[in-house]
Amino acid sequence: MNHGQQSGEAKHEDDAALTEFLASLMDYTPTIPDDLVEHYLAKSGFQCPDVRLIRLVAVATQKFVADVASDALQHCKARPAPFVKDKKQQKDKRLILTMEDLSKALREYGVNVKHPEYFADSPSTGMDPATREE
Amino acid sequence: MKRRRNSKLKFEEPSDQSPTTTADFTFTLTRLAVSQICQSIGYKATDSSALNTLTVTTTKFLQSLAGLASSFSNAANRTESNLFDVVNGLQDIALSTSDCFPGGSTVHDVESHCLIKSAVVRNLSDFVKYAPEIPFAKPLPRPERDGSSSGRDLDHEAVTVTRSVEYVPAWLPPFPDASLYSDRCTKDGSDHLWENSVTVIDRENLMDSLKSESCRGRKSGRLPQRRARVRFKMERDCSDGDTRWRQDNDAESGRDVEVKKKIIEEYIHCAGEWPI
Repeated sequence: MNHGQQSGEAKHEDDAALTEFLASLMDYTPTIPDDLVEHYLAKSGFQCPDVRLIRLVAVATQKFVADVASDALQHCKARPAPFVKDKKQQKDKRLILTMEDLSKALREYGVNVKHPEYFADSPSTGMDPATREE
Repeated sequence: MKRRRNSKLKFEEPSDQSPTTTADFTFTLTRLAVSQICQSIGYKATDSSALNTLTVTTTKFLQSLAGLASSFSNAANRTESNLFDVVNGLQDIALSTSDCFPGGSTVHDVESHCLIKSAVVRNLSDFVKYAPEIPFAKPLPRPERDGSSSGRDLDHEAVTVTRSVEYVPAWLPPFPDASLYSDRCTKDGSDHLWENSVTVIDRENLMDSLKSESCRGRKSGRLPQRRARVRFKMERDCSDGDTRWRQDNDAESGRDVEVKKKIIEEYIHCAGEWPI
């Protein structure tokens, strides 16, 4: 009897927590707009008039992107930086999202991305004109 | 003195190409949102290919989540998804993307009815509590809504037709504009008899015109009202001496006998004997 009452109270608390979470979704503005999310959801056959579910999906997507980006940033920071004379330049240009870091981060999420190699016409293709003259 | 350059997130954006289709437009918007998220994480710049790849992954994530939720709702004989469908979709995606969470082995446990116990929902709840709010960079143009929650607002050919018929589902495409209708089909609500309706009167007039044409003898492709009767009679040929079959030549005219013989000869020539 007592155990049943405790489980009932726990369920009541859980329901209250869930209701509070759904209410907080209306106060939180996700980065991905609701209209954009609705467009992609409608494309896949998702139909729901509740705006809170749209926000939930938007928040879940934002969290997914943030997790992937943060993992890629960790890979970027863990990579040993090349020797550069100008320390300011080293700090500014270091944190760049590259395909190499992104592919490593996405691999952990089950997404296989491989950047294809490209073949240049000559050894000086793509180099700066100043260095090309040298 | 050198001016310090503001550390803005920069990415290569083709200046000549503007989004021409709806897909390009939504992709551009998604890319903006993804770049904002990357900036909030701490990135100063991104490669265009990396940003595009992450944007495509984001759209695939959205679509897969929506597909999972809608499949769960369809499995429960519903067309509209609810919170349970979305949470089940999130859990399936988390399991498939190796994002292990505690309680993953008892995802569909009957006893745990409350969804907040799911680790996925709790993680999202913590994210909403502690993550900084990053609104979208630019406000989206908002066309007039007619109360439906479909994603047609981002369509360049946004339809602003007000739905006067409530029993038509919102996810169906809208009716064409009333100005395109060729003929207004209005149902006559008067109480006059069916015999006096326009369709019946027109049909009667048509019949009268046909009768007058048949009297004049014009060949209009229709059979005349009065025409000669044609009679056919099929019998077996008794010329072999078989006396079982009745010969019925007495009441026949000469023309009927010739027709019968011709039919018999043709049949024997082609296939053989007739079945009895």
